[in-house]
Amino acid sequence: MRSETLPLAIEDLSVVYGERRAVDHLSFSVRPGEIYGLLGSNGAGKTSTIKSVVGLVRPASGHVRVFGLDAVEDAYRVKERVGYVPETSLLYEALTPREFLEFVASVRRLDRGFASERTRTYVSAFRLEEEFEEPIMALSNGTRQKVLLIAALLHQPPLLVLDEPLNSLDPRSVRIMKDLLVRYVASGERGVLFSTHTMEVAEQLCHRVGILDRGVLRGEGTLPRLREKVAAGDATLEEVFLRLTEEGEGVRDAVASLGARG
Amino acid sequence: MSWREAARLSDVAFTELSFQAIYAFRQGNLAPPGPAKTAVARARRRVAQSKAVVSFVLALLALGAAVALRAAVYRGSFLTSVVPLGLFQAGVLTGLLVLEVAFLWWTGMQVLPTFLSSGVLPVLESLPIDDPTLRRTAALLYLRLFDLPALTVLVATPLAIGLVLGPIAGLAILPGAIAVVGLSLGLSLVTGRFFLRRVQGSRGGGGRTVVRWTYLVLWLIPVFSMFIFVVAAPAFLEWLGHLAMHGPSLGSQLLLLAFPFPLAALPALASSGPAGLGLDSAGWGFLIGGLGGYAALTAWSVVWVLSSVRQVGLIPPIAELPASVSVVELRPQRPVLAVLTKDLRIASRTPGYAFLILLPVLDAIAIGLLTYLSPPGSSTAFSIALGAVTTAAILATFFGPAFFAIEVFAYSYGRTLPLKDRTLVSGKVVLVTAMYLVASATVLGISLARIFEPGLFTVFIAAELPAVGAAAFLELGILFRRARSHGLPITNLYASAWTAFAVSVPGVVIAAAPLVAFRFVSLGGESLGLLAMAIVALAELAACAPFALGGSGP
Repeated sequence: MRSETLPLAIEDLSVVYGERRAVDHLSFSVRPGEIYGLLGSNGAGKTSTIKSVVGLVRPASGHVRVFGLDAVEDAYRVKERVGYVPETSLLYEALTPREFLEFVASVRRLDRGFASERTRTYVSAFRLEEEFEEPIMALSNGTRQKVLLIAALLHQPPLLVLDEPLNSLDPRSVRIMKDLLVRYVASGERGVLFSTHTMEVAEQLCHRVGILDRGVLRGEGTLPRLREKVAAGDATLEEVFLRLTEEGEGVRDAVASLGARG
Repeated sequence: MSWREAARLSDVAFTELSFQAIYAFRQGNLAPPGPAKTAVARARRRVAQSKAVVSFVLALLALGAAVALRAAVYRGSFLTSVVPLGLFQAGVLTGLLVLEVAFLWWTGMQVLPTFLSSGVLPVLESLPIDDPTLRRTAALLYLRLFDLPALTVLVATPLAIGLVLGPIAGLAILPGAIAVVGLSLGLSLVTGRFFLRRVQGSRGGGGRTVVRWTYLVLWLIPVFSMFIFVVAAPAFLEWLGHLAMHGPSLGSQLLLLAFPFPLAALPALASSGPAGLGLDSAGWGFLIGGLGGYAALTAWSVVWVLSSVRQVGLIPPIAELPASVSVVELRPQRPVLAVLTKDLRIASRTPGYAFLILLPVLDAIAIGLLTYLSPPGSSTAFSIALGAVTTAAILATFFGPAFFAIEVFAYSYGRTLPLKDRTLVSGKVVLVTAMYLVASATVLGISLARIFEPGLFTVFIAAELPAVGAAAFLELGILFRRARSHGLPITNLYASAWTAFAVSVPGVVIAAAPLVAFRFVSLGGESLGLLAMAIVALAELAACAPFALGGSGP
């Protein structure tokens, strides 16, 4: 596949903080029309990988390419093509959602009619009418997450990068978001990189998943292919994940220990 | 649980608060490099440095009052020949106490938003700590924000006054110092709560924006206390002389009730005796009534603060009832303008930034009004007006670092947008120069009746404009380059002495250079001076703009 049409290609990426290696020679890609789930425990390197895609972390080695553009060398054009929802909802606290989205629309040079129309659609879908003029600092985490989702979707980016996007959302919004993501990639040109440690969501939503453990990709592919890899015929994604990360025994020991202590 | 446990908890909470204040960790900054222990120690050291600066100013004020009193006691002065010595002493000490309240109050208003937004108290609430200990912890934490400055007021004021007027007078100012601290703590908390609800928590919309800025203007008045004091002091002393000449009157009785005159009168009574104040029996009644009233108010303020800090710290920042918007409409602007608008919107809900934006304008109004003390068309009026513009230009050099600090909010998110540093820098430079122009236009507007050469004055403003822009470009260029190389924003000017020295000093030099050129070259003619000024300013702009705009990555 030509790199210009590939929403995301990560090649031999390493991210290092001081003496700690958060991501270790990682390679994977998000294909057109695909929702790719990046799975891993806390500290597995998911957020560091995502931050290197959106330009928040400079890779120690390797490359991140978005539609063929290098995320370091061509950062501006990459940012034009990416919609990003961070793990923690850190926004301009003193702005209201309207003011914040207006700023994002301005920076992305969106047309007034287009930006308003898309905002109206999402505000209505996420039922944000009451909070639209409240300062962000007063909003709940779930509402902030909705604002971030709207900001990420506003310019119809060809690549969506979502770091634990469903964490604080209410069930209704989670459902809307899932349907939206499926429809988003249905045209076959866009891609979604989606990090989560909720296996059920990944199982339902992702076309392929990559399992990260201590910065290393332990397995990648569709669920049937991963089952094959660990020789587990009808295992759930959670079981596959635990086997690939070799955490199964550790989990059993921890549960046994908790049980013994009450 | 006990006060000792509360003190231990407040120490831990204060460390967290210092860390938040310096590194803005909750605003999305990455953790500072190096061991956590070093970063925490650095944060506490820098907060201590900030407190030391405020305390130093407070000590200087006490010293200044002592010098004024000493001059009157030992050498006599023109004023004491008009105003009886006791009344003069009470007048000077009134000024001192007012300034101390203003500075402590201002300090409180600066730190309250950080205190309330740090989330320190809600975290403590979730722990299994009993109610009295939580209340005490919150109160001790709040007191720690003021500890060194408050201690300076309580120690330096009696010490300085005692050295000049004697130990009894020194002790006699102690109730005044205690009232200053007690009332400042209360005022800070009241205004902190008020701004949390009505400014920070204000919904969007045009009308509310006007209300927010109006509140912020009122909020700034304490900052101008020093200036008001300098301008009003002679008139106040003259009025005291007038009261003394005419004997007891409604005016003198009201004075004996007005804060903080009764408290300031105590050392004067101790030093100069009752005759110095010329009190009759009704006057004594008013004085004692005033003292009792302020003692009760101070006690109430301290009790209220100690019992309310916890509750105030937990208030959600919204006071208005939610309301559905009927029209969802976005109005995107050009990116440079969007940066400017965003900064103004953030400032309208953030007193620290609003202070910076309003300062040059209020300063211009204040200095502009001074021109009315000079005869129309005089060179003094012209000099005062030029001085006001000069002040606005120099003040503008503080805005670059401040507007950079706005980017600390959601800095990491902002960096994921296709927003070039040069767009950010340009938006902020436009804002800085616009503020300089508004301040200068204000001076021109106010002093037009006093200056017969508005053309010359306008050229002076225009000649300095490129230098203001150059200073902003230079400061923002340094800050953004440093932020890029470190991958971290520099949170505020207090975060590092290096930042203050390496950013603000070059900015001030750049802004001041054309003014210095004008000063020297205008000896050979004003037109020549203005030409030299414009050449220097344009040369600076030509050098600084490419430095800030060049090589700036997204």
